Amino acid sequence: MDFLQPSTMAEALAAKAEHPGAVPIAGGTDVMVEMNFDKHRPPALLDVTRVSELTEWGMDDGRVRLGAGVSYTRIIDELGDRLPGLAMASRTVGSPQIRNRGTVGGNLGAASPAGDAHPALLAADAEIELQSTAGTRVVKAHEFYLGVKRNAARRDELITAIVLTPPSGPQQFCKIGTRNAMVISVAAFGLALHPDRRVVRTGIGSVAPTPRRAYAAEEFLAAELESAGLWESRAELPTALAREFGEKVKAAGAPIDDVRGTAAYRLHSLAVMARRAVTWAWTDYRTARGT
Amino acid sequence: MRITTTVNGQQRVVDDVWEGESLLYVLRERMGLPGSKNACEQGECGSCTVYLDGVTACACLVAGGQAEGREVVTVEALADADGLHPVQEAFLECGAVQCGFCTPGLLVQTHDLLARTGRPSDPEIREALAGNLCRCTGYEKILDAVRLASERMASR
Amino acid sequence: MTAITTRAVGSSPTRIEGTAKVTGAARYSTEQDHLGDVAYLWPVPATIAKGRVEAVDSDAVAGLPGVLAVLTPDNAPRLETPDDAELAVLQDHEVSYRGQFVAAVVATSLETAREAAASLHITYAEVPHDSELTENHPKLSKPEKVNPAFPTDTEDGDVDAALAAAAVTVDATYRTPPVHNNPMEPHASLAVWLGHELTLYDSLQGAFAAQQALAKLFALPPASVHVINEHVGGGFGSKGTVRLGAVLAAMAAREVGRPVKVVLGRQHMFTVVGYRTPTIQRVRLGADADGQLTAIEHAAIEQTSTVLEFAEQTTVATRIMYAAGSRRTSHRLAALDVPTPRWMRAPGECPGMFALESAMDELAVATGVDPVEIRIRNEPDVEPESGKPFSSRNLVACLREGAERFGWAARDPRPGVRRDGRWLVGTGVAASTYPSYVGPSTASAAAEPGGGFVVRISAADIGTGARTVLTQIAADALRVRVEEVRVEIGDSSFGQAALAGGSMGTASWGWAVTRAGERLRAALDEHGGDGRLEVHVDTAEEVKARTGFAYHAFGAQYAEARVDLDTGEVRVPRLLGVFGVGRIVNPRTARSQLIGGMTMGLSMALHEEGVLDPAFGDYVNHDFAGYHVAAAADVADIDAVWVDEQDEHVNPLGVKGIGEIGIVGTAAAVANAVFHATGVRVRDLPIRLDKLLGGLPG
Repeated sequence: MDFLQPSTMAEALAAKAEHPGAVPIAGGTDVMVEMNFDKHRPPALLDVTRVSELTEWGMDDGRVRLGAGVSYTRIIDELGDRLPGLAMASRTVGSPQIRNRGTVGGNLGAASPAGDAHPALLAADAEIELQSTAGTRVVKAHEFYLGVKRNAARRDELITAIVLTPPSGPQQFCKIGTRNAMVISVAAFGLALHPDRRVVRTGIGSVAPTPRRAYAAEEFLAAELESAGLWESRAELPTALAREFGEKVKAAGAPIDDVRGTAAYRLHSLAVMARRAVTWAWTDYRTARGT
Repeated sequence: MRITTTVNGQQRVVDDVWEGESLLYVLRERMGLPGSKNACEQGECGSCTVYLDGVTACACLVAGGQAEGREVVTVEALADADGLHPVQEAFLECGAVQCGFCTPGLLVQTHDLLARTGRPSDPEIREALAGNLCRCTGYEKILDAVRLASERMASR
Repeated sequence: MTAITTRAVGSSPTRIEGTAKVTGAARYSTEQDHLGDVAYLWPVPATIAKGRVEAVDSDAVAGLPGVLAVLTPDNAPRLETPDDAELAVLQDHEVSYRGQFVAAVVATSLETAREAAASLHITYAEVPHDSELTENHPKLSKPEKVNPAFPTDTEDGDVDAALAAAAVTVDATYRTPPVHNNPMEPHASLAVWLGHELTLYDSLQGAFAAQQALAKLFALPPASVHVINEHVGGGFGSKGTVRLGAVLAAMAAREVGRPVKVVLGRQHMFTVVGYRTPTIQRVRLGADADGQLTAIEHAAIEQTSTVLEFAEQTTVATRIMYAAGSRRTSHRLAALDVPTPRWMRAPGECPGMFALESAMDELAVATGVDPVEIRIRNEPDVEPESGKPFSSRNLVACLREGAERFGWAARDPRPGVRRDGRWLVGTGVAASTYPSYVGPSTASAAAEPGGGFVVRISAADIGTGARTVLTQIAADALRVRVEEVRVEIGDSSFGQAALAGGSMGTASWGWAVTRAGERLRAALDEHGGDGRLEVHVDTAEEVKARTGFAYHAFGAQYAEARVDLDTGEVRVPRLLGVFGVGRIVNPRTARSQLIGGMTMGLSMALHEEGVLDPAFGDYVNHDFAGYHVAAAADVADIDAVWVDEQDEHVNPLGVKGIGEIGIVGTAAAVANAVFHATGVRVRDLPIRLDKLLGGLPG
C-alpha cells in the first residue's frame, strides 16, 4: 500500500491522477473502519489533511467556499451564521471526537444515504466542486448522489470544496435515531426556505437508496405560500398546510426495513420531521423581519 | 514507512509502520504506550481518545502516517511531576473508574472539555462524553467526577 | 502494632489500583512489555453456518513474509477432550455456526496475520442450516437441567384449575432478543511457554479455573500452567471460563516458539464468546379480584448451539418471587445452528424477570390494584417452592422505600393521559432479585518482615472493586488499618478460588480472606511479635455447611419514561433502584456497581438487540455502530440506594452479591413506565420507537 501525503493542491491532484485507485483520507471515519475491519485494503491512501485549500473555508463572490476537509467542529464553531442548516446537521454527527476529524468531503465521498450532511446540502442548493489535473467542475448536490454509496466524482477527481450561498431565509435540520447521541439516523430531514427566490428546498436522508430532495413537496409548499400571499404577509402557517407538506415529503421516501427501524416507521417519522421543521422555519421567518 | 511524531512531548521515530495502520496501533504496539485502549476499531467507543495537534480524536481512525510531524498527547502524559491532573484525581476520588478500560479515553475527553468549557452543565457533559462508552459505571460517577474536577479547576 | 476498632468494612476507600488506571500505567493482559518478540494470531471465522471444512489452502499464505504458522483443522495440535466443547478449537472439520473459528494465522505483525487470514482460501461442504428460534420449533426439547443445576420444570398445585377459577387472568407472551455482553475490553490472551511450562496472561474472570481447564486440555500437571489476570476490562459473564482465544494463544505459542498474542476484534465478540439467548416466554397469572395470586405459570423457550447445551435458567426467579396457590415453570430448548449462548449478567433472572414483572404490571392494570401494592400483597412468608425460610428478604421494604423516594403515592394509574408538551409521561415499577451464591475458596495471609501484611487469593477484579473491598475485609479481620494490608489477586498460583461471577466474589473471597486474617491474627496474638508467619485457609467445609435457608437478594426498580407523541422516541429521565443486599462493604464501589447494572438494564430495555439474519445464521449488527449500548447522553437522573439489612445466615460477612441484581427488573420497570405513559404494552424488547407508533394517543 502507498501512503501519499501531498501538501499542495497541485500535488494532491497529481497524486490522484497517477493513483486513481488511491482513497482520500481525512477524518478516517469511513476509510479507517474499512481497513480496521479488513473489509478493504486500497492500493493507496491519499492523506488530504495537509492541503490548505481543502482544510480552509472562505468567501468567494458572496458565497461560502467550504474546503472539503473542514471539520464538522469548525463548521459548528465558525459557520453557524452563514450555513445554519449545515451547522445544525454537523452538531448531530457522531461524537465530539468524530466531529473534530470528520468532514463534509468525507460524507460526500462515502455517499451513504445516512450521511448527516446530505439533507442540509440538498436543501441549501449546495454545489460540489470536483478537481482533477484536467480541470475543475461543479456538480449540484441533487445531481451528485448516483446510487447507494456511489457519487458523481470520477476516479481521477478529488472532492475539493462545497460552495453554498448564505441563506436568505431560515433553515432547519431534524434527525431521529434510536439513541440520544452518537447515532446513525433512522431518518433525517433538511429544509431551507429561500424567500429571495421564493422557493423551498428539502433533503431527506436514510429513507431512500440515496439522499434526495422531495421535489413535489417543495413545489407544493412554494405554490401554497405564493397563492396565499404568505411570503409577504408572514402570517401564521396553517397547521393543515404544514401537515400536508409533511405527507408530501413522506411520499418522496422509499426506505427499507433494517436494524434501526422499519420502512413504515421511517416514512412516518419523515412526515413528522417535515411538519415540525416547516413550522419552526416559518416561525423563524415570521420573527426575522428584514432578512 | 517511517513515522516521526512528537508524543507526550518527546520526538519519536518508528520504522516499518504499515501504511494502513492506525495511530492507536502505533502507540500501543510500536511505542510502548498501551494506555489508550482498543475496544471497537471504529470510533464508536472513544476508549482510544488522544489529542492530535491539540484536538481530541479517536486514534483508531487516524492513519499512522497522518500523525507524521504532528503532536500527540495520550493519557500517559496527563499527570506531571506535581502529580495527578485534577481530572485524574476526581475520577479516582469519585469512583468513576471501574474496569478502567474506557477510563483513558474519558480522561482525555474530559480534560479537553474542561479546558474549553470551564463549568459545563450536565447536558453539556453528557453530550461531550457521548462518544465514550462505559459498560461498568452507568456514567453517574463519571458525571460526579467531571463536576468535581470542573469545580476544583475553576477555583484555582 | 495497634488494635484498630474502626471497621474498614462500610467505609469507602478509593480504588486501590485506581492510580494505575487513571495514569494509563495499569497493564491489562496482553500489555506486557518484558517478553521480547511477540507474535500475533488472527483467527479465521467460518463463512458458512453449517457443514464441513473440506480443505484449507494454507500453502498459499504460509510462505508470505512474516507468516509464522497457519493453524487448520488438519495440522492443529491435538488437545485432550475438554469439558467445554467450545474449547476444542480446530480439533475437527465440523462447522456448527457461522463465525466459528476454522483456522488461524500467526505472524510477526498483526497486519500480516490479518491480511493472510483474509486471503486464506477455505473450501466448505455446506449443508442447510436452521438458525431461527420460533415458538413451535420442531427441535424444542426438555433439557435435563438448567444452568447451573436447577430442575428444568417444576409444578406445585393445580395451575389449570386455579386459572380456570380465577377472577382475573393475564396470559401474555414476552420476547427478549439475543443480547451481547460486550465488556469494553475484548477478550485478550498472551501465552508464553518456557519448556513445558505455560504462562497465560488473560482477561478472564477466574484464573484458577482457567489453569485447571488449560492443564487438562494440554495434558499438563496444573502446576505447570500459570494464569495471570491482574487487570480485567469487564466481563459480564463472557469471560467466566476459558474462551477459545486463550487456547489458540497457547497452541500457537508452542508451535512458533515465541509468545503469541490473541486479541479478539469487537466483531468476534458477537459470535465466539457467548451472549444471552433470545427467549420467548409465556406467563399466565390467575388472581382474585384483589390481586391475590392463585396461579403462576411461566414457560420459557430459548436456544443453544449444536456445540454444547447451554440452558438459561429463565424461569427460576418465578419459583421464589411470589406467594400463589399454584405454580408451574418450565424451560424448552432448541439446539440451533447458531453461536453458543452463555452467561450474561444475571442469566435467567434478567430475561425471566422482564416477563414476570411485566405480567405483574398487567395484572395490576387488570385488577385495578396499585403495582406496588399488588407485589406487597403477594409477598410470601417462606420461599414458595422449597418452603425454606429466607435468610433475609426485604422486597417489601425496598418497594416502600422506593415509592417514598420516587414520589409514587401521587401516581394516577390511568395510562396515556399525562402530557408535557409533546411528551407523554409515565412511571413504572418492577421487582428485582438475584441469588446470594457462595463458592469455596482458599486464601493465604502473611505478616511481612518489614511490617504490614499480605493476603493472597486467586480473585479477579473485573471492575467490581474486588481488590479494594478484599483489602477492607482483610484489614478488619487482621484488626489493622487498610494501609497496612496488601491484597494480591489475579494469579492462579494463589490456589483455588471462586470465579468473579454469579455475584459471589465478595461473599466467597471475603469469607476466605476473613478466615485467613482471623487465623493470622490469632497466630500473631499467640506467638506475639512480627515473626514470619503465614497461614492458609480453605472455606470448602464451611461453605458446604451453609444450609437451611433460601439465600437471595431483592430490590425494587422505579422508572420514569417520556415518549414523543409523534415519533415514539423514548427517554428515561429518572431511574431509582432500592436494594436489600446485606451489608455493604464499600458504599462508593457498591453504588456504582448497582447503577452500572441498572444502566445495562436500561440499555437492554431501549437499545440492545443482536439481529440474527436467518438466511446467514449470524448477527448482522456485530459492531458498536450497529449494536447500541447506552451512552452518557441516554442516562439522566439515576440513583441506587439500599435498605439496612442484617443477614447472619448468608455468610460470615453478611454480604450479598451486587454485581447482577442491578440489571434485574430494570427493563420491566421501563416497559411498565412506557405503558403508563402511552397505553402501549411492549412485550418484545427492545422498546424501539417503531413498536410504539400506531398505539400512541392523539
